[in-house]
Amino acid sequence: MRVDSSFKEEVRKRSGQRFDACFQCLSCAGGCPVVEDMDYNPTQIVRLVEFGQRERVLASKAIWVCVGCHACVSQCPNRVNVPLLMDTLRQMALEQGVEVPEKRIVLFHRTFLDQVRRRGRIYELGLAARYKLASWTLFQDLIAGLKFLWKRKFKFLPEAVKGLSDIRTIWREGDGKA
Amino acid sequence: MEKLDGAIRYYPGCSLGSSAREMGDSFQELARMLGLEISPLEDWSCCGSSPAHSTNPNLATLLAARNLLLAQEQGVKDLMVMCPSCFVRLKQAEREILTSMEKAQELERVFHRKYRGGVRLRFFLEILEQIGLERVKEIMRNPFHGLKVALYYGCLLSRPDWITGFDVAPYERFIEDLVRIAGADPVRWPYSKHCCGASLAVTKPGTSDRLVDRIRHYALEAKAQCIVVFCSLCQMNLELRGKASSPLPVLYITELLALAAGSPNARKWLSKHLIDPLPLLREQMSLARSG
Ligand code: SF4
Ligand code: SF4
Repeated sequence: MRVDSSFKEEVRKRSGQRFDACFQCLSCAGGCPVVEDMDYNPTQIVRLVEFGQRERVLASKAIWVCVGCHACVSQCPNRVNVPLLMDTLRQMALEQGVEVPEKRIVLFHRTFLDQVRRRGRIYELGLAARYKLASWTLFQDLIAGLKFLWKRKFKFLPEAVKGLSDIRTIWREGDGKA
Repeated sequence: MEKLDGAIRYYPGCSLGSSAREMGDSFQELARMLGLEISPLEDWSCCGSSPAHSTNPNLATLLAARNLLLAQEQGVKDLMVMCPSCFVRLKQAEREILTSMEKAQELERVFHRKYRGGVRLRFFLEILEQIGLERVKEIMRNPFHGLKVALYYGCLLSRPDWITGFDVAPYERFIEDLVRIAGADPVRWPYSKHCCGASLAVTKPGTSDRLVDRIRHYALEAKAQCIVVFCSLCQMNLELRGKASSPLPVLYITELLALAAGSPNARKWLSKHLIDPLPLLREQMSLARSG
């Protein structure tokens, strides 16, 4: 096995954190609510980063499935910030054009941010509709969606912020490529 | 303790006016009955939520920071934040700007405005505690009759504050007392701080189903008649998801309090629930009559 140190260095630099304090106690994996849906558990992700396994880590499901609940870092004896690591790895996977196994999650993030870019706020009905159209899972949530409409929870009229120029500036100046 | 005076400014977040109408409306009612003057931060915008921090940290900071700048310009000293997820995002942005020269300069470059750090971000439970049990007690005209509730804090509220900026632990006793004042009885159960998987509710519903079923199972086992939550995302997910367990009504803390205060407008928001809480509430009311 060849260790690609450049990967570990890049992750450290971008996240501003070191991940070599981990002594593989598995606390993070044990407390992670979504570990069953991960291909590598959080301990393994930390370890694979240290071993420089760029491709395996960036193409993993685990980095997308993480819900950022912070259970892991709360119970880590070494305060290894796993959710921050996951955020960093997701950003790297997108930038490096890796084929993401959890396409719907990425699509959801994109649709969400697109709404924010246009209106400055989330207009939930629009978000749901766009996401559904884009992901072709139109029927999956139809029943729940109808219930929502019936209850008139979602706003029908999208509400935009007045200072939309600020939002545009954020996207233009703030490297809002995502 | 500092006195609360004048108007309270709050950051509602995107869901308070739509999918979390129950929370928004009951919060307004509660504030009205407590005689508080509340108004939203003018022209607030989305904090960026998970999609921003998952994909682009710069965007996450700038989106959240715009609200800090607005609060500063509007002379807001304490900004009350209603949603735990928004709270963590705003707090994170604040920390970055105040501790990293690079981030502070980036903010100034983009907005041509400086953030000086004078706005205190406060989760709404902090404000409620400041208002105090005594004051809340005064308005409890229609208390419940031993309604058994499972207090569900969810993930972000129950993490150490060095990570999120707010830890519910020192507030737990206060919340239990608050619930008792409303005539409800908090049950002991082991799942009040486990994540419900709300962020995967749309993209990986099977995962959210599993997490919700687990939470509900333990709430039912503890004989809770409803779950009481503090987060709009938890509320929606706990009502929407879960397949294997029987449904259980999910009320926001603000609904519980506004109901116990005898809010005349409760029907308006109660009808928005996906799991109808009315049968349970009627049962409580008939208890009230017979008791
Ligand atoms: S809890 Fe911390 S030390 Fe233990 S395996 Fe996870 S990251 Fe490593
Ligand atoms: S933050 Fe992510 S990795 Fe950590 S426990 Fe939660 S879901 Fe698992």
